Amino acid sequence: MASHYEAPIRKPLVLGDKGYHDVSVDIAAPVEGRANKQWWIVFSIALAALLWGVGAIIYTISTGIGTWGLNKTVNWAWDITNFVWWVGIGHAGTLISAVLLLFRQKWRMAINRSAEAMTIFSVIQAGLFPIIHMGRPWLAYWVVPIPNQFGSLWVNFNSPLLWDVFAISTYLSVSLVFWWTGLLPDFGMIRDRAVKPFQKKIYGLVSFGWTGRAKDWQRFEEVSLVLAGLATPLVLSVHTIVSFDFATSVIPGWHTTIFPPYFVAGAIFSGFAMVQTLLIIMRKVSHLEDYITVQHIELMNIVIMITGSIVGCAYITELFIAWYSGVEYEQYAFLNRATGPYWWAYLLMMSCNVVSPQIMWFKKIRTSIVISFIISIVVNVGMWFERFVIIVTSLHRDYLPSSWTMFSPTFVDIGIFIGTIGFFFVLFLLYSRTFPVIAQAEVKSILKSSGSRFKALRDAGKPLYTISKNGIVRETIIGNEEEAAVSAEPDKESLLSTLGSFDSGTQEPDDLKKVKGIGPLMEKTLNKLGIFSFLQVSKMTQKEYDMLDALTGAFPGRAQRDDWAGQAKMFLNNDK
Amino acid sequence: MKGFIKIVMILAIIGLVSACADSNSPNYQYMPNMYEPVGYETYQQVDFLPGGTEAMTPPENTIHRGWLPYEFANDLEGKEMARMQPSPLDTLLMEANLAKGKELYTIYCGICHGNLGKGQGTLVKREKILGVPSYADAARNITVGSTYHTIYYGLNSMGSYAGQLDYEERWQVSEYVMQLKQDLTK
Repeated sequence: MASHYEAPIRKPLVLGDKGYHDVSVDIAAPVEGRANKQWWIVFSIALAALLWGVGAIIYTISTGIGTWGLNKTVNWAWDITNFVWWVGIGHAGTLISAVLLLFRQKWRMAINRSAEAMTIFSVIQAGLFPIIHMGRPWLAYWVVPIPNQFGSLWVNFNSPLLWDVFAISTYLSVSLVFWWTGLLPDFGMIRDRAVKPFQKKIYGLVSFGWTGRAKDWQRFEEVSLVLAGLATPLVLSVHTIVSFDFATSVIPGWHTTIFPPYFVAGAIFSGFAMVQTLLIIMRKVSHLEDYITVQHIELMNIVIMITGSIVGCAYITELFIAWYSGVEYEQYAFLNRATGPYWWAYLLMMSCNVVSPQIMWFKKIRTSIVISFIISIVVNVGMWFERFVIIVTSLHRDYLPSSWTMFSPTFVDIGIFIGTIGFFFVLFLLYSRTFPVIAQAEVKSILKSSGSRFKALRDAGKPLYTISKNGIVRETIIGNEEEAAVSAEPDKESLLSTLGSFDSGTQEPDDLKKVKGIGPLMEKTLNKLGIFSFLQVSKMTQKEYDMLDALTGAFPGRAQRDDWAGQAKMFLNNDK
Repeated sequence: MKGFIKIVMILAIIGLVSACADSNSPNYQYMPNMYEPVGYETYQQVDFLPGGTEAMTPPENTIHRGWLPYEFANDLEGKEMARMQPSPLDTLLMEANLAKGKELYTIYCGICHGNLGKGQGTLVKREKILGVPSYADAARNITVGSTYHTIYYGLNSMGSYAGQLDYEERWQVSEYVMQLKQDLTK
């Protein structure tokens, strides 16, 4: 590490006195622990919203689209607004994991897992809308070009709605594969730490037998890079295709060439805002403040600011071109947005999307967690209205004044939207309790270069390996074990006093090697101390572990970590 | 072995599912949205009409556009009067009319009367029916008008063909019958 050079300007990405083991423990803690009351409350609320949404969807499909507020003129409104909104949110995940990987941004490592999860879950929400807004959703499979008995009746490949099918399904599957590949080492970690057989079985299944050999890692890295290279054009094209739904039409206000990049920028903008919202809560709830630091929040705020400015530029461009075009319909479309019956939606969109990210120029604001949180929500509200404004204001007044109309949603429109929010949070809450929410393998790879403890040591010119406090990394020569045990002879009486002594005349010694963490050598050491039976081991508590550590001097903290007492209890019970 | 069991199981499931299709009743349909008609089909069974069928008889003594009632009665007197009626078809189109008449004759008449009009149709040869005379029979002094009358109303064992053939077709067949008669008596 002495040869390592990192610019001193770089702030640490992992705070606190963290070693590799601490990373594992911190990240595994929410998975291994039990959900608290707050989690159950929030989960119940999300589940209730989901069920309400399911009811609204069933009502829509069984009764008809007429239950929505759509009319003959405005035939897309909340459905496609929500679709584009969710797809947009989904884009940040892939951006963080793929684009930032290509740009070698180390700060992505603490947030990419959750961002990808967010992608998957929000694309699932988005994927609902193209189905449920169909008049006959049970014939949705007709959009897929499969050979059939209608003389192989085919789909028309000229419609952006069909491209949407391919874009969204490809996007979901690639994101899923990318996400899961990254999860393999982390699931492996959870699997190896799991004590209960059920958990061990489950994480053993989902980790696909990951063993972390050099060859595995080498290929893992290659796959990640290739997938990142594939995912980046995918991100750009998916939202481009979504924007084509509008841009390829002839509707004034829709027919624009600026839509593809502008929608993508908006997607990144809203996606990062959503990541921000979620992670600000998650770092607090899951005690991950050392990994998701204020620096991460600040960097995300900068991305939000940049993309927000791009979106702002796009708004101005649209307005300019409308004026410059000399097309009355185009000009009226924008006049209608600003001063028509939906002026409030336009104003909300403008203020949320153009003004709010601009305050991120102030460092005080962009490093403030509370303000970041508020802004992140404001941005998502604004981006929802952006899609609403584009869709509804362009449709409700277009070429023929005789078909001008208004749109107002019904409770079913709103119910389905609330349902998708509920579904999203149900998935995300379940994820946060069962998945390693931070890519521990990746964080460990930057721990020595960007961890605050190692940075401090490097700055002080000290070698990184001397830190042996707390006994996390300590070189042990196995041969010393016996010696240590012998020298500790005087103390063993006090240890045995709580554990109970073993009479080799009447009792039979147990095979202590059964306990995970006790090898043949350790068994010998324990026997020397007078510990022979599971009964004795099962009585061990924190105090005894410490004493044992002091006596043996080998693998400190090991006994506690492996929960020898718990394991011994299990064997005791099994014997009976 | 495991794979083999799986294949057998899949085949068994396919067999079970396909066993649900009954060739004696219409097959299962997936979401028959516009499969059953909302409007009334011609021969559809309906509850609210007399006779229970959608096909009802038009009111009597009404004349629809493009059709006129046959002026001769269905009795011997009418037949005698019809005997004198000439064919209203255009003689310049005789060729085409005879060709069409031949076509229709072989479909509707040949089975009893024989394709040559000798009264030796398939049904007669197989002795399913008897007593079909030849057109050349001197006792049967048929003309184009009487043939038309017979086709229209039927005669003795022969039923009416007014339901199968329309006005023009009946005359075409009648002309063709006269042609056959001519060929037989030659």
